[in-house]
Amino acid sequence: MRSGLALLVVVLLAGLMMAGVSQLPPPGAPDSAVHGHVAATYIDGGAEAGGAPNLVTAVLLNYRAFDTYGEVVVIFAALIAVLAVGLAGRPIRSPRQAPTVPVSPVVDQVVRLLAPFIALFALFMILEGHVLPGGGFQGGVVLGTLIILLGLVLSPRRLRHLLPHKAVFWIRSAAVLTFACTALTGLALTGWLFALPEPHWLGESVIVGLELAIGIGSAFAVAGFFLSLEADRHR
Amino acid sequence: MVILFAVGLYIVLTKQNLLKKIIGLNIMETAVFGLIVTSGMVTGGSPPLLGQGLEPPYASPIAHALVLTGIVVALSVTALALVLILRVQSECGSIELDDLLEREE
Repeated sequence: MRSGLALLVVVLLAGLMMAGVSQLPPPGAPDSAVHGHVAATYIDGGAEAGGAPNLVTAVLLNYRAFDTYGEVVVIFAALIAVLAVGLAGRPIRSPRQAPTVPVSPVVDQVVRLLAPFIALFALFMILEGHVLPGGGFQGGVVLGTLIILLGLVLSPRRLRHLLPHKAVFWIRSAAVLTFACTALTGLALTGWLFALPEPHWLGESVIVGLELAIGIGSAFAVAGFFLSLEADRHR
Repeated sequence: MVILFAVGLYIVLTKQNLLKKIIGLNIMETAVFGLIVTSGMVTGGSPPLLGQGLEPPYASPIAHALVLTGIVVALSVTALALVLILRVQSECGSIELDDLLEREE
């Protein structure tokens, strides 16, 4: 009964949306509204005004820097919420050693072998993100996956040795802090929040610095989500 | 994309398992991202990277940036929902909505 009703609602809604979508210009048409106005302006003046030849990065870090700042704050807030929900109201129990399956030596070796290359690729995506496809978030996710992989293979004690608690605390807030700093330096040097400072190399290094902060911050957020869920499961 | 969205919505409406509801939500999000990203493409166009010897027309960079932001928010929402579901499981012993509502009464 209930699923029948839901099916009816969904089909009606889908029909309505199908009618709406059929009125949209076909995807790929070069003269549709998406490519006019703002997008055309970005493509014409993008590289000079936006500070990065990769226009997606230019839009994210310069034209729409406020939005990206909000985005970074959202992911940071979610990380805090996940950690808080994981910890709040729990009876403090002695950490019971969860019965874990020992990691096979093959997996261990392969992960050790691959880890430097994954890290290199992630750094490449982050640092070249303003010129080539890639960027802070994308590289950050790759780096975060690497940390998750290491967290699964290494024992928690060794992972903690690799990443001391205090460092993780600061790294997690790196993206938000760097963004705030960039906004204020832009204000101090040019009079506009998030404006890139004048000499070209300085503006470019600000973009690269932001990308690096976003990448590392989001990597630790993604890894933090997963590892806190995983730790929760073992309790 | 509409069909994908409808599938996601149907899952959210009918499934009683909270985890499955989250999966349905993610399917809906994917449909929306796909719609926005495909609206930004151009037939025979190139990615919006200047100075790489690529020829115009370029795909719209705005659609890409929008979807990137959306993905990050979707990830945050999913992570928060998952940890809350884990908490519900450990407090109430079930993540089936039927069971939870029954216990309320």
